[in-house]
Amino acid sequence: MTFQELILALQQHWAAQGCILTQAYDVEVGAGTMAPTTFLRALGPEPWNVAYVQPSRRPADGRFGDNPNRLFQHHQLQVILKPSPKDVQSLYLDSLKAIGIDPLDHDLRFVEDDWEAPTLGAWGLGWEVWCDGMEITQFTYFQQCGGFECRPVSAELTYGLERIAMYLQNVENVFDVEWVKGVSYGEVFHRNEVEMSTYAFRASDPAVLFQLFEIYEKECARLLAQGLPLPAYESALKCSHTFNLLDARGAISVTERAGFIKRVRDNARACAEAYLKVRAALGFPLRKTGWTVGQQPPLLEGAPASRVWDTFLAEQKR
Amino acid sequence: MSEGLLFEVGTEELPAAAVEPAVEQLRTLLLSGLDGARLVHGAARTFATPRRLAVLVEAVEQRSPDVTRQVLGPPVKAAFGPDGVPTKAATKFAEAQGVPVQALRRLQTPKGEYLAAEVTEPGRAASALLPGILGAAVHGIEFKKSMRWGEVEQTFARPVQWLLALHGQEVVPVVFADVKSGRMTFGHRFLSPGPHPVGHPRDYPGLLERAQVMAEVARRKERIRTEAAEAARQAGGRIRDDQALLDEVTELVEWPTALLGSFEERHLDLPPEVLVQEMTSHQRYFPVVDAGGELLPRFVAISNTPVRDPALSLRGYERVLRSRLTDGRFFFDEDRKVPLAARVPALERVVWQGKLGTYAEKVGRIRLLAGALTRAVGRPELLAIVDRAAMLAKADLTTGMVGEFPELQGVMGREYALASGEPPAVAQAIADHYLPRGASDPVPADDPGALVGMADRLDTLAGLFALGKPPTASADPFGLRRACLGVVHLILGRGYRLSLGEAVHQALDGVAKKLGLGAAQVAEAKAQLLEFFRGRLRALWVDRARADVVEAVLAAGFDDLRQARARLDAFAQIVGALDFTPLAIAFKRVANIVEKQGSDVSSEPADPRLFQEPSETALAQAARRASTEVHRALAAENANAALAAARSLKGPVDAFFDQVLVMTDDRPLRENRVRLLREVAQVFAPLADLSRIQAEAGGAP
Repeated sequence: MTFQELILALQQHWAAQGCILTQAYDVEVGAGTMAPTTFLRALGPEPWNVAYVQPSRRPADGRFGDNPNRLFQHHQLQVILKPSPKDVQSLYLDSLKAIGIDPLDHDLRFVEDDWEAPTLGAWGLGWEVWCDGMEITQFTYFQQCGGFECRPVSAELTYGLERIAMYLQNVENVFDVEWVKGVSYGEVFHRNEVEMSTYAFRASDPAVLFQLFEIYEKECARLLAQGLPLPAYESALKCSHTFNLLDARGAISVTERAGFIKRVRDNARACAEAYLKVRAALGFPLRKTGWTVGQQPPLLEGAPASRVWDTFLAEQKR
Repeated sequence: MSEGLLFEVGTEELPAAAVEPAVEQLRTLLLSGLDGARLVHGAARTFATPRRLAVLVEAVEQRSPDVTRQVLGPPVKAAFGPDGVPTKAATKFAEAQGVPVQALRRLQTPKGEYLAAEVTEPGRAASALLPGILGAAVHGIEFKKSMRWGEVEQTFARPVQWLLALHGQEVVPVVFADVKSGRMTFGHRFLSPGPHPVGHPRDYPGLLERAQVMAEVARRKERIRTEAAEAARQAGGRIRDDQALLDEVTELVEWPTALLGSFEERHLDLPPEVLVQEMTSHQRYFPVVDAGGELLPRFVAISNTPVRDPALSLRGYERVLRSRLTDGRFFFDEDRKVPLAARVPALERVVWQGKLGTYAEKVGRIRLLAGALTRAVGRPELLAIVDRAAMLAKADLTTGMVGEFPELQGVMGREYALASGEPPAVAQAIADHYLPRGASDPVPADDPGALVGMADRLDTLAGLFALGKPPTASADPFGLRRACLGVVHLILGRGYRLSLGEAVHQALDGVAKKLGLGAAQVAEAKAQLLEFFRGRLRALWVDRARADVVEAVLAAGFDDLRQARARLDAFAQIVGALDFTPLAIAFKRVANIVEKQGSDVSSEPADPRLFQEPSETALAQAARRASTEVHRALAAENANAALAAARSLKGPVDAFFDQVLVMTDDRPLRENRVRLLREVAQVFAPLADLSRIQAEAGGAP
């Protein structure tokens, strides 16, 4: 199975479940979680079911294309199912069958892994999914996002596409992965790794980056003041990526580090709050769709989770 | 008629560490629920895997028995009028208890005669009681971390998928987290998913076994142990002992199968700790060692599924390890390009604790303190080695390998020190200064590591206490309890005789400079820290002697820990003896008199010219002899002899009390006798404060 077939098979699987397929978000992010299609959509009472491939840039992981496993930019296939269906594990295991990983041929395991993103004020509990001892997916039930409780809870599935492809194709070096017949991952992306690593570690200008950080931070606040959380969030993401570039460059001391992370998180949190206000003003329109994926358990006791948000919003008004 | 009761909570994969505590809670909650409802039951068995927590209780009765009890009403005095007619108090009471007033009985109590009603509470059917008991039990389980999922309002460690609740053949209706109970269970996720109906609780263990779930923890653990041992044997070796890993792996599988894998032999030149860490911490593989304990290039992985072609699965296991080892080798090679000493300046950029500064500052303090400790234990010839080791002790925190595997701190320091040409004793001390890591760990075999380790821990304790951040009952983020016990184990394990108070003081002086503290604040922190030591010692020594004896010995001081422990052991040997309690009582009497009368009496020893009775002279002579002997014996570290010398005063003290009236009206005589008794009390003072011995507990071992 080529890299491309792998992507198509996973997309096909999740599309068939009722997910929308969006395209990758076009602002630099370190993980699919940071795209607004996850970070913002996980907030509030509206249903949301999506799958997308997200190129994820992690400047500090760049290795100039010399390391067989580490990349400046890798690709995640990100799935968000909100509310998390009762049979989310089965749906996920079916997706593995769709890419040729049969649970009777491989040792598949759900091993505890708690996830936390300090720059997003987000955390969740779940697993790393092992296939014969190798982590192939991060599986998380979001508990908080931007400092807000997630109600209902989203299930997030993050497939590490390069890793899975290496496994399926039985190659030891990511650059040997076959993208399509006759064209390797290396032929597509090796030069990108060389140049981006050079940029991150040597060619970037910390003085400029510090300036950019300030600019994006102010821009984020300015846009929030105008009630525009979506463009504000783009600035917040740019702040975050600029911070990662500075970090990779070794330009941020240990003592400063926590301060920068807090500034990024404060941005993200403010965007989350503003986003919720806008959605509330619109009346949480997706609530009317009744859009769900997989099995939803009947509510046998307790009120639907969405009621919690009505209370939250009432409190905000007061 | 009784029936088995089965309650199974089916979940998505629970965290390994949560499984056993959770099933134990479920068992306790369920049994206390049954007992609380007076439902008679038999023994309970537990079953627990990553996907289920279950309790099977034998012979749970169908009804709770009727219970009759007395309810106390008004006093008889107030219950009847002068004409013998029941008052309103009596009739109201009878009404409230639902009995005719004539049926009330009279009951004699210490407070007088009262009316009482005999009330019978009828038993209730198990079918009415069990839903509440089971519901409360599943609600009552607490986890370190809980979560929500979907739109469910309840929390659990991972989502709940099913509830199986049967009393005999009947389903007990329970609802939790939007799941309704039924009679279905589920088998192995892939091999025998189910649902499988359970006819009767007694069928459950066999049914699970057929559904390829080995649900009893002890059995599953034993199976893994045997399978892994067998696999290792095929490789000509054995499994490296690791109980924690075995415990964890047990809670990662329902149906364990061992697979024997290999890695490239060339990786064996990595430090063994690195290889072990790579195999165990991320992969949960069991390393295989030869008869001499040396690693073989083999491992045993425990699979949850007996896959169709083990070779295919194994290829996966091996490839993950291969890439990890390649990574590890990369770090090892990169790290060694910089001599360890050249990494020291980088510690200026690593924060240890906000107000207490960076690791560079901590290392500066450790060096000073370790030097002082080295002199204090009389090993000045080690000063150079200790100082070098202290300087390098934390340098490995800046290496790639420790960044990847924090657990390897110290070990990597040793390896990199050797690679940088540091003396072996320095390298060993760097690794050793983290020992003992836990209660079961040995102390370092050599002094330099022990001295640096002691300095490190004392600096941590001093710093956090000076900041006013002692550990709380629930939070000890800097591991101060462990650090404190570490200091104790180092001193005792290495047999050091030094002043704990002096060492604590020097440590506080170091952090006081950083924090700008004055003498009064240092003194307060010192008092608190020594109290903390006292508390730890109390907890540590409670299995060496009775709690009051530990308290009495600690009250006499623990500045010299080794001597304090010897005193404790000496007391522990005699505390069960028949004459110990009379001894303690006699000396308590002495202590009481001295305490009450001693304050306005001259602090001089007793004046022999004022002795009236031979027993006074005899006691004075005995006390002075004993005092000399106690001090001599303690200095010679012979606590038994010191205690024997003090005990020898028992006879003279008894004779004194028999023959002499202390509280005579003749003031000079009286005061002289009090002074004599104070001399006696002072003989015991360096050994223990006997006033803390509980006489009534005497005789018990």
